Amino acid sequence: MIDRLIRFQSVLGWLTLAMLAAGLYLVLTAPADFQQGGSVRILFMHVPSAKMALLCYVALSVASILYLWKRWEGADILSEALTGVGMVFTAVTLASGSIWGKPMWGTWWAWDARLTSMLVLLIIYVGLMALRNGIEDPVKSARATAVLALVGAVDLPIIHFSVKWWRTLHQPASFTGSGAPKIVGPLLTPLVVMAVAFIIMGTYMTVVRARTIRAQRQLEALEEEKSWQDDR
Amino acid sequence: MLRAAYRIAWKDVVGDFRRRATLSSMLFFAVAVLLVFQAAFEPDRSQALRLVPGLLWATVLFTSLVGLGRVFQAEEENGALEGLLLAPLPHGVIYFGKWWGNLALTVLVELFLTPVTLILFNVDAWDRLPAILGVLLFGTLGLTGLGVLLAALTQAARSRETLLALLLLPLAVPLLIAGVQATAAVLTDMGSPWPWLRLIAIFDVVYLVSAPWAFAWLVEE
Repeated sequence: MIDRLIRFQSVLGWLTLAMLAAGLYLVLTAPADFQQGGSVRILFMHVPSAKMALLCYVALSVASILYLWKRWEGADILSEALTGVGMVFTAVTLASGSIWGKPMWGTWWAWDARLTSMLVLLIIYVGLMALRNGIEDPVKSARATAVLALVGAVDLPIIHFSVKWWRTLHQPASFTGSGAPKIVGPLLTPLVVMAVAFIIMGTYMTVVRARTIRAQRQLEALEEEKSWQDDR
Repeated sequence: MLRAAYRIAWKDVVGDFRRRATLSSMLFFAVAVLLVFQAAFEPDRSQALRLVPGLLWATVLFTSLVGLGRVFQAEEENGALEGLLLAPLPHGVIYFGKWWGNLALTVLVELFLTPVTLILFNVDAWDRLPAILGVLLFGTLGLTGLGVLLAALTQAARSRETLLALLLLPLAVPLLIAGVQATAAVLTDMGSPWPWLRLIAIFDVVYLVSAPWAFAWLVEE
C-alpha cells in the first residue's frame, strides 16, 4: 500500500505547493473581518490544522486496528508516520490558537473543552512517540503503540465530553470564539481552499515520512544481518 | 476462570505483604504528597474544605503510580510473565487477576489515606467519611483498570515509570474531574454528586470492558 502511495509522492508535493500558494493568495487578499480585523487570517491556518490534527488521529486509529488485526507491517509504518505528522499539526493548532487568542480573547489560554482536549491530544501524540522509542523489540513496540493509540481514541471523546460538562455546569462558556457567527462567502472560499491544501499537505508529509521510516527499518535489518554474518 | 484470576491477585497481594514492598511505599508516598500539598497551599479551615477533594484525588492519582509501576515487576525480573501467559487461560483473565491485585492494594491505601487527609487538613466531616470513601473506591475501579493496562503497555520500555506517568495522568483527566466534583458535592452539599458518579461509571465500564481485550492483543504471540 505504501508503494502505491509513494508513486504519487511528487504529484502530491507539487499539488501541495500549488494549493498552498493559491490558498495564501486568497487569504491575504480577503477582506479583513469587521470585528477581528486582520488577525482573522490566523484562523485560515488554525482551523485546517485543527481538522488535520484530528483527521491524523482517526487515520492512526484505523492503521492501529489494521496492524493489530492483520499484522501488516505497512500499517505500523503508516501509524508511526501519522504520529509525527499529527503531532506537528496539533502543535501548530495550539500555537496559532494562542497567538489568535491573545488579541481576541485577551488571554493566551483558556481551559475550555476544545483547548483542553487538544492539549491532551498533543500529550498522547508525544506519549505514542516516547512509547515507540522506549521499547527495543520492534514487534513489542509496534503492538504496544497500536494498543495505546486505541486507548487514546477511546479516551479523547470522554475527555472532551467531561471538560465540556464540567465547564457548563460551573459557568457558561466565557468565550464563544468560534461557531457563533456564520462565515460569509468572501472568507469561506479561502478557508475551503486552505482546508483542501492542508489535507493534501498532510498526505504528502505522511507519504514522505512513511518512506523514510521504511528505508530506516530496511537499513536496520540489513545492518543486523551484516553483523550476524560478521560474527560467523 | 474467576478462581484463576483470584489466584493471581492473591499471589500478588500476599507476595507483596511478605516482602513489605509496594503497600508500605505507597502509604508513605501518600503521606509525603499530603505534606507537599500542605506546604505548597497552606490552607486555612475554609480553604481546606474547598481544596480537600482535589488534594485527595491528586494524592490518590500520584500514589497509584507507585503501585502501578510494580504490577508487572516481579514477573519482569524473573521472566515469569511468559510462564503466566502459558497458563491455559484466556489472557483477559490474567489481566483481571493483575487488576484485582492492584485494586486491593490501592483500596487499602485509600482506606488509610482518606481519614488521614481529613485529620491533617482539619476538615470535620466524619459523618460523610463513608460517602467520600464510596466515591473514591468507585473511581478507583476505573483508575486501576486503566492503570494496569498502561503498566502492561510500558513494562518492556526503558524508562517505564516515567512513561507510565506521562500516559496515565492525561488519560485519567475525566476521572479526576468527575471524582473531584462528586467528592466536593458530597463534602459540601453543593450540587448533586449523581451526574458525576454517572461519568465515573462510564469511565469504569469503558475501561473494564475494553482493557482485557487490549491486554490480550498486546501479549498475544
